[in-house]
Amino acid sequence: MNPNMTPNLMAVLPTLIIMVTGMVVLIGDSCLKGWKSTKSLSAIVTLIGIAAAGFFALSRITEDSIIVFGGAVVIDSFSNGTALILLATAAFATLLAMTYLENKNLNLGEYYALVLFSTSGSMLMASANDLIVLFIAIEILSVALYVLAGFARTDEKSEESALKYFLLGAFAAGFLLYGIALIYGGTAGAAGNGGTTNLTLISEFLRHTNGVANPMLMAGIALLLVGLGFKAGLVPFHMWTPDVYEGAPTSVTAYMAAGAKIGAFAAIVRVFNAFIPISPYWLIALQVLAVLTMFGGNLLAIVQENVKRMLAYSSIAHAGYLLVGVCAMAGNPRAHDTALGAILFYLFGYMLVTMGSFGILIWLSKRGHDCTTMNDLKGLAKTDPTAAYTMLIFMLSLAGIPLTVGFFGKLQIFNASLMAGQVGIAISMAVASIISVYYYLKVVWTMCFQEPDGNTVEGRATSSFGVNVTVGLSAIGCVLFGILPQTLQFLINASNSIMRP
Amino acid sequence: MEITTQHFLVLSAILFTLGVIGVLVKRNPIVIFMCVELMLNAANLSFVALGRHFGQINGQMYVIFALAVAAAEVSVGLGIIVAIFRSKESINIDEVNLMKF
Repeated sequence: MNPNMTPNLMAVLPTLIIMVTGMVVLIGDSCLKGWKSTKSLSAIVTLIGIAAAGFFALSRITEDSIIVFGGAVVIDSFSNGTALILLATAAFATLLAMTYLENKNLNLGEYYALVLFSTSGSMLMASANDLIVLFIAIEILSVALYVLAGFARTDEKSEESALKYFLLGAFAAGFLLYGIALIYGGTAGAAGNGGTTNLTLISEFLRHTNGVANPMLMAGIALLLVGLGFKAGLVPFHMWTPDVYEGAPTSVTAYMAAGAKIGAFAAIVRVFNAFIPISPYWLIALQVLAVLTMFGGNLLAIVQENVKRMLAYSSIAHAGYLLVGVCAMAGNPRAHDTALGAILFYLFGYMLVTMGSFGILIWLSKRGHDCTTMNDLKGLAKTDPTAAYTMLIFMLSLAGIPLTVGFFGKLQIFNASLMAGQVGIAISMAVASIISVYYYLKVVWTMCFQEPDGNTVEGRATSSFGVNVTVGLSAIGCVLFGILPQTLQFLINASNSIMRP
Repeated sequence: MEITTQHFLVLSAILFTLGVIGVLVKRNPIVIFMCVELMLNAANLSFVALGRHFGQINGQMYVIFALAVAAAEVSVGLGIIVAIFRSKESINIDEVNLMKF
């Protein structure tokens, strides 16, 4: 091996470990097909790989940023912090799937390999410093997710969700790539005589041109925003989200809701961090998207009868809150660091609650019956109080009630928004949160104050170690970090080493 | 008339627009996917033309990446379409409508 390559490879070690584990699981699983406990072995290997990658990411979280692969990849505390959140997501998705897939007769080792591949893609998104790397990382994430969405091959809904996700995802990839091409053309003179897709060079170029943008660059940024907006599920581009979340197997939905969104927001933060010198041109568009996303997601969630669909719309609303954080980051240099810390904290809290609430749905799913609708939850407090009261914690956290992690996440984003002087958008965030309380409490009301009928899931349906661990850890984390948010200070500080615009 | 970089960029913009329109109006997933490929290739054309214009190798290099990604997408996409055809005997996008808001 070329000795100069070693520091580069060492820098991306967590991502590499995840990729290699994915390949080992994929090959090992098909080699040991006949053996009875192959599947648990695949899951265990997956968890070991995730733990190893997590160890390396955690050990480097305070280090300064290093730029490797000729400027294409940057490893800083932001990317390491995001990587930790993503690895936790992957670990939870693995734990949730073990019994659930078996009950659905879908216990295929490919699940674990695909989860690992898409995790490696989203980790790369968080450390991409070049738009082409970003594009490839998004595709690594997405292509694995298309397959995962259609993982229940015999289920028509799952197939439909895979097709919808695939067609719209590929459509978005077209916008993204064309946007990158236009940015490449629009930054003529950034690298010698030519253009560039490197975010550091773009940022420098924009500062030297005194924030004057040309039409080609502006069109490029607009198309890039459309492409990233699709991945993050922002409102005019959210149409796929509810269908895909509803149709995909629940453990995949949990992974998608957390992993893909975290990756997409890490990418949005990276990209728009570089475009800050020309923020007057695009900030207003981002703010309009944020308001549309918050209200669109929350208002559409109110009418849903399917809990998975309701959580899909709620995830859209949460993308809106995160976008408020991105606007604060770009709007004012004083709010830059605070907003970044708030976004990381929010992503972590959102991940815990998402895995937990989908975990409850998996907990209640029986062989041959997925727990997905409000009817399944009717009077749950009488038939399965543990599940009902744990779900209560998650719903309160999603709504942002104090003493939960969701409250502090929202509070920090709200603070950052006020610090950036964006009062109007901060107020619309507060109003949107109040609307959201209605449908989260509707779930609580259905569980606690309605009588169980024939549809209600009776008692513990699947007894699974993995689901118990996931739900338990998320619930504990949800309350613990809600009472002691300063324990996550290292995540909030993690944003301090991100490249300055 | 000499063919300049601008001609390439205009052509690629036209191809991209055609691709977008195709995705929005067509009802067959395979045709929709062909239109998506048209969008990707419009971007590739821009990359190559701009790379030549700037005298940089980057543009050509990006195209290789984009082609590899497009190939991976094709394999997964056609797999999904075949799976749907097996269970439905049809791949009209209007018949894939179990879920609506």
